[in-house]
Amino acid sequence: MDKSFFERIDLMLIFLSVGVLSCGLLAVFSATYTGGGDYFSRQLWFGVLGITLMMIISFIPPRFISRASYVLYALSLVLLVLVLIFGKRIAGSKSWFAVGSFGIQPSEFAKITTILALANYMTSTEEGFRNLNRPLEFFKAALFVLVPVLLIMQQPDMGTSLVFLSMILPIFFWAELSPFVLMVIISPIAVVIGALMGTTFFIVALIAVGLILLMFKRNMIVIGIILLVNVVVGISADSLYSKLQPYQQRRIQAVFDPALDPLGSGYNVIQSKVAIGSGGLFGKGFLQGTQTQLKFIPEQWTDFIFCMIGEEFGFIGSITVLLLFLLLISRIVSNGSISKNRFLSIACIGIASVIFCHTVINVGMTIGLLPVIGIPLPLMSYGISSLLSFFVMIGIAMNTYRFKNQY
Amino acid sequence: MEPEKKRAIVLSLCAMVFVLLGARLAYLQLLSADELRGMSDKNSIKTITITPPRGLMYDRNGKVLVDNKPSYTVTITPSQFDTNDLSEMSSLLDIPPDRLKQALKEVKGTNRFNPTKIKRDVEFKIVAHIAENHDRLKGVDYQIDAIRFYPDGIIGSHAFGYASEISEKALKKQEGDYYKQGDVVGSTGLEKNYEKDLRGVKGYKFITVDVNGREIGPLNDGNSDIPPVNGQDLMLGMDKDLQLYAEKLMEGKEGALVALDPRNGQILCFVSKPDFDLSLFTGKTDPKVYASLIANPDKPMFNRVTQTRYPPGSTWKMMMSMAALDSGIITPTSTVNCPGAFVYGGRAYEDHGSYGNINVVRALEVSSNVFYYKMGLALGIDNFEKYCRMFGFGQKTGVDIPQEYSGLLPTRKYYDKVFGKDRWPNGVLVNLGIGQGELGVTPLQMAAYVAAISMNGLYCQPHFVSKIKNTVSNTFEDVKFEQRRIDMPLKYYEAVNKGMYLVVNGGGTAKSVKSSDYELCGKTGTAQNSTGKNHSWFVGYAPYGDPRIAICVLGEKEGYGATFAAPTAAKIMVKYLGGPGYDPDSQIKMVSEGVAD
Repeated sequence: MDKSFFERIDLMLIFLSVGVLSCGLLAVFSATYTGGGDYFSRQLWFGVLGITLMMIISFIPPRFISRASYVLYALSLVLLVLVLIFGKRIAGSKSWFAVGSFGIQPSEFAKITTILALANYMTSTEEGFRNLNRPLEFFKAALFVLVPVLLIMQQPDMGTSLVFLSMILPIFFWAELSPFVLMVIISPIAVVIGALMGTTFFIVALIAVGLILLMFKRNMIVIGIILLVNVVVGISADSLYSKLQPYQQRRIQAVFDPALDPLGSGYNVIQSKVAIGSGGLFGKGFLQGTQTQLKFIPEQWTDFIFCMIGEEFGFIGSITVLLLFLLLISRIVSNGSISKNRFLSIACIGIASVIFCHTVINVGMTIGLLPVIGIPLPLMSYGISSLLSFFVMIGIAMNTYRFKNQY
Repeated sequence: MEPEKKRAIVLSLCAMVFVLLGARLAYLQLLSADELRGMSDKNSIKTITITPPRGLMYDRNGKVLVDNKPSYTVTITPSQFDTNDLSEMSSLLDIPPDRLKQALKEVKGTNRFNPTKIKRDVEFKIVAHIAENHDRLKGVDYQIDAIRFYPDGIIGSHAFGYASEISEKALKKQEGDYYKQGDVVGSTGLEKNYEKDLRGVKGYKFITVDVNGREIGPLNDGNSDIPPVNGQDLMLGMDKDLQLYAEKLMEGKEGALVALDPRNGQILCFVSKPDFDLSLFTGKTDPKVYASLIANPDKPMFNRVTQTRYPPGSTWKMMMSMAALDSGIITPTSTVNCPGAFVYGGRAYEDHGSYGNINVVRALEVSSNVFYYKMGLALGIDNFEKYCRMFGFGQKTGVDIPQEYSGLLPTRKYYDKVFGKDRWPNGVLVNLGIGQGELGVTPLQMAAYVAAISMNGLYCQPHFVSKIKNTVSNTFEDVKFEQRRIDMPLKYYEAVNKGMYLVVNGGGTAKSVKSSDYELCGKTGTAQNSTGKNHSWFVGYAPYGDPRIAICVLGEKEGYGATFAAPTAAKIMVKYLGGPGYDPDSQIKMVSEGVAD
């Protein structure tokens, strides 16, 4: 075996992912220390399985991955349909298959296959890339994401849908979509957020969007139409909001004012902020967090796992974890940027954006910056499907590193 | 755009968002830390578990069979407990210090911030000591629990069963995490079978405490508390007066007595002797007591109604009669020659007497052996198995207590295994014809079988519980059990029932227990016992033509069926039919030496 066999292993990604996994294991151990449950040992064994899977994937020749991507994508769509029919309803969402004592979440699997299929679509032409500035190509590419999103919204699982949608922008940007079109996509999002926060914010957002669009020096009629669309979207945001599940509405309200409902939807946010804040600079010490050990936050080992880090390891601990995530994400983006294989390069951006989105939404929710949207913290939250799918994604990023010089 | 440029844009956007998160963390953990820490310190909740009392058991007339009484349980909250108090607590509670330490360690289902049950059913003077020294003994407390109380002393031990403190093993093996250390769980009998109904659902009281464990007050003014749901009461088909009477009749014996209502399968009384005191298991169970019960050669814990397997002897002859009639070997009126013995395979099989040409009714009345030797032989092993299964033999009756055996029903497969394929003598069938040999039946199977015959083929699954109290609507709701029809012509049943009638009211083996008030029917039987006196069987029902009680009595080492089992069963039947105030002893006399069957 030649020397470069080992040199081409992305040790940095191994180090970072195992580091995050270990922080997660500590947190799961502490969060389930009182009251039992074998969450820790399950997370440990599936972590080992995940690392193995990651290593195996890093050796698969890229052309096999791109060739399999459509089949896997189709398979995951079938699973997403099946879960709507045969799935087990947990906490209001039908997103799980019950397999023995485990639950399997096909949407986690679909995240990977969607990224791969989209990446494959964008690069499977004679020239090696598609021009997304052509409307037809743009919509075909967007359809790869929208189809699974529609299925996942039926479960309904808004958090995961959001993660899927969020990968569109970075991937399209990476695939040379013009900044003007990007701006056109971003503008209604900004306007909707403004509209939800109140009339003043709505108007400020509209003006900002208008000014930025003007800077592109395009046809004034086009800009006018775009602005008009934005106004309509912003106004209809309220009716959209009313179509959300009541528990999601309450969660959004509780972000702005957790005290509105201290024992209901705001409860988790208050308790989680108290837990993290009371940790101070150095934390209360491992297994010493009263908020964690007294179970003030229900099911803390899943979506609220970050509280435990904040409470028991303090500011030092939580910043360390955030830094690990930032390094992990930038390493994956860098792998994407140095790769000569465009398929893998785009896949890396998709993967990085999914990890970024999960991390920011999850941490943002535990520290009261974002609404409580139940999505796991990558490699840290207890959950077998999510753990394995993140390791597979990082495996693909490692693969990108190994084959970075192959077209 | 250059890849490097794109990377720079993406990563700087990323980093900006992370800086935002970091800033928020700094705000919470550095600037607001003191305030939030204060909130966290105030913010401790002690969870007090409220275990509801177990549901009671009532007899068919609403009299309490199994009751509850209050008892004190000492608890310790490990996080508050001062280990300097260990030796004091150890001597107070009479628990060795290392075992007490072990109990305070966390096991699945306990939490060191919440009270752990340390000792159940303690005396009041211990509670008084704890109450007096409450401020000094940190984390030590007591709570009032309900424990089982048996108002009539030792009755129905095997039927009711006991509920005792959950073992460490069971705690680990449980599905879910309902049970915690110190909880009580149904271990045998009805307590086990109806555990989920009887136990109710635990409730929780939340009390806010400060970091030092001082109680500040109920969380959210008690609005967050989860009230317990009381255990559901069971109403049994059992008749308490009859049960007490049956217990008295069986006192000092080894054996089983079970009576049921043939119309629906409800068990009226259920006695297995020797028995044991259920109250030994209610509080703390002394391991030595348990070990001595297990080691007792009389096996008091063994449920003789559902777990013994003896040959049924002549009580089997109704079974053979039905099989012979239905398979066409005989008709209700056809006769069979019954001399004093039957020679088969070079061996003479004895009978008590020579009866000449007799039909099936007469054969039952006199309990002719030769008649049934011939029936067994003519039936063949495959038909034998078929008809036995129809009457519930070789399988569990499905009674609603967990300890039950299916008995032993010899089949072609069984004999092939014992003797080798097709190498067994047909002589086994001669013995099976009179209910001897390898055959093993439980008294409960026999009671259900005789009930089915009395009802002309309606076989009801025997059961204890007739109704369960719905704690929401506060009404008793019926529990459904299986009933099936053993489909044979009515005239066959009539012939067999007539034979059973004549056993008592004609010139049969149980004529000594004939009652002038009620028309009792039945059949005596004797199980051969190679190690001592024979076992005495009686199965029967009453009244003839309108059965309201069916019964099976087994007296181990009591001799012929007519000696012990028949008069005991007869007393139970007339007592039940006579109702309160009726004196069965004036009607039925015990027999010192009954006739052979």
